[in-house]
Amino acid sequence: MLGFGGEREAVSKVGLTAADLAAARRREPAAVTRIYTAYAPALFRFFMAAVSDRHQAEDLTGTTFVSAIEGLPRFRGPVEALGGWLFQIARHDLYDFRRKQGRSRTEPLEENLNEATAATGGDDPEDLAIERLEGSRVLAAMRQLSDDQREVLLLRMAGGLTAPEVAAILGKTTGAVKALQHRGLASLARVLGLRSPQQPPERPYPSTDPDRLTSQEEEER
Amino acid sequence: MPGSKPNRLHDELDALLDGRPVELTDELAPLAEAANELRVELAGLRLDPEAADRHLERVLHGSAPVVRLPVRGQASGWEVRRRVVAVALAAALVLAPATIASAAALPGQAMYPFKLAIEQIRIASVQWSPPREAGERTRVAQERLEELNRLVELKMFNQIATAVSALDKAVLDAQAAVSEAKQEGQPVPALAATLDNLKTVGGQTLANVVATVSDPSLLPEGTRNAIRAAVAQTQVVVTPDRDIEYAGPPPNPPTPTTDAKPGGGSDPTSPPAAPTTAPQPPETTQAPAPTTTEPPPTSPPTTDPPPTTEETTPPASGGGGDAGSGADERAPTEQAPPTTLPAP
Repeated sequence: MLGFGGEREAVSKVGLTAADLAAARRREPAAVTRIYTAYAPALFRFFMAAVSDRHQAEDLTGTTFVSAIEGLPRFRGPVEALGGWLFQIARHDLYDFRRKQGRSRTEPLEENLNEATAATGGDDPEDLAIERLEGSRVLAAMRQLSDDQREVLLLRMAGGLTAPEVAAILGKTTGAVKALQHRGLASLARVLGLRSPQQPPERPYPSTDPDRLTSQEEEER
Repeated sequence: MPGSKPNRLHDELDALLDGRPVELTDELAPLAEAANELRVELAGLRLDPEAADRHLERVLHGSAPVVRLPVRGQASGWEVRRRVVAVALAAALVLAPATIASAAALPGQAMYPFKLAIEQIRIASVQWSPPREAGERTRVAQERLEELNRLVELKMFNQIATAVSALDKAVLDAQAAVSEAKQEGQPVPALAATLDNLKTVGGQTLANVVATVSDPSLLPEGTRNAIRAAVAQTQVVVTPDRDIEYAGPPPNPPTPTTDAKPGGGSDPTSPPAAPTTAPQPPETTQAPAPTTTEPPPTSPPTTDPPPTTEETTPPASGGGGDAGSGADERAPTEQAPPTTLPAP
């Protein structure tokens, strides 16, 4: 037996209550800090996995949290729904970021590298690039997934949200989310070279059953 | 069942990701392993504590805190003054440019309605003081006369009929305001004298207008008739020879008369050819009009009965510094029936 879902438990361990939520709406520092402590690490992981840049992920985390705290008086759900609401904001901010990034792609690379150097206190850009490539094997594999699959897996695994919560954020059915996470993990396993001991080496997971194909394989067919 | 197997697998995988106990089958094993690798990878991504501090600082101190709106208490004297100044400043910023731009506007021009609106605002702002209101209304009447002169000068004949009516109404309003100030115990003899002068000069201007529009080559017949009708319907600003032309009561058919003589009032700055009377008794015995709109000497107008007046019964109390103005003179003015100018 294996179990995942530590993110959810970690959040619940913080012990956020309705009183915390009400106090955070009034910007009471202790309550705001509790909410930040509970969700900021997950938000950062979500952004980091999505943009693969620490500084941008940190900025996005801060921006999302500021937006969330400022918009907290408008949040009417129970404290249990706070995570889903936060990641809805995070997803929106991520789209905004990508749209802006798409507009400013003409910036010269050297300028970006120099900026990165200045931001990291003088590290060599080459070192930064190597550092980024190392340890990102799984995240690189995640980029092989379709956008839907990657988004579902990040919200589930990085955000610690349940399938129904992810379904609510994405506007999909829970069944569709479960199917996407299944296909996404299957694709990830295939890209990472993971397979069941019973499977022959030349036929990595999944099987040839059309119902079990990944979306990429479906596209290839 | 062929269709249920993927759903079962989806549910088992979902339960696995949620941390619920699931039997790890061969099909689930690589998925669980991929999920575990992803989870380990994500767990290694840690937020820099300094960045976290910056974020919290930004949230807690970087923006204005959301607090309940304070209940508005009794405004102090300073706050009231501050608000008044703020409103006045805002009004000045909005109105000043428009006021300047519309100051020279004439009837028919785009800014003219704005000019009238500003005048109404200015009048409304001084209505708490009858003398000030009288002064403001007198100024407006002078402005109407100025506009009429400009229209004649610029040959904007299609607006003259309107301007004549507006001049007469403005003088009537100013006269009423002067009268009201007097009734309130705040007589304004200087304004009354200015108004008298204005009526005299205005009458000469009307005579000039009638003379000017008599030239058939200048304007269409319809426009000329409209101007003449407007001149004939004036109540307080009348042409010097008005009493001769339109002395009859309204029920009577219009008496054929001759047009106003150009020489009698073609030049607003020149005195009339002969002293004439207006329909109002106090106005009937004015001295030769001054050549400007400046207030005349403080001596009251003469009260000699005019030779051309047919039914003047000047009230005994019409003298003094306000002679020629006020309620004393308004009653007969209002009784004077509007006359019509016969077609030429």
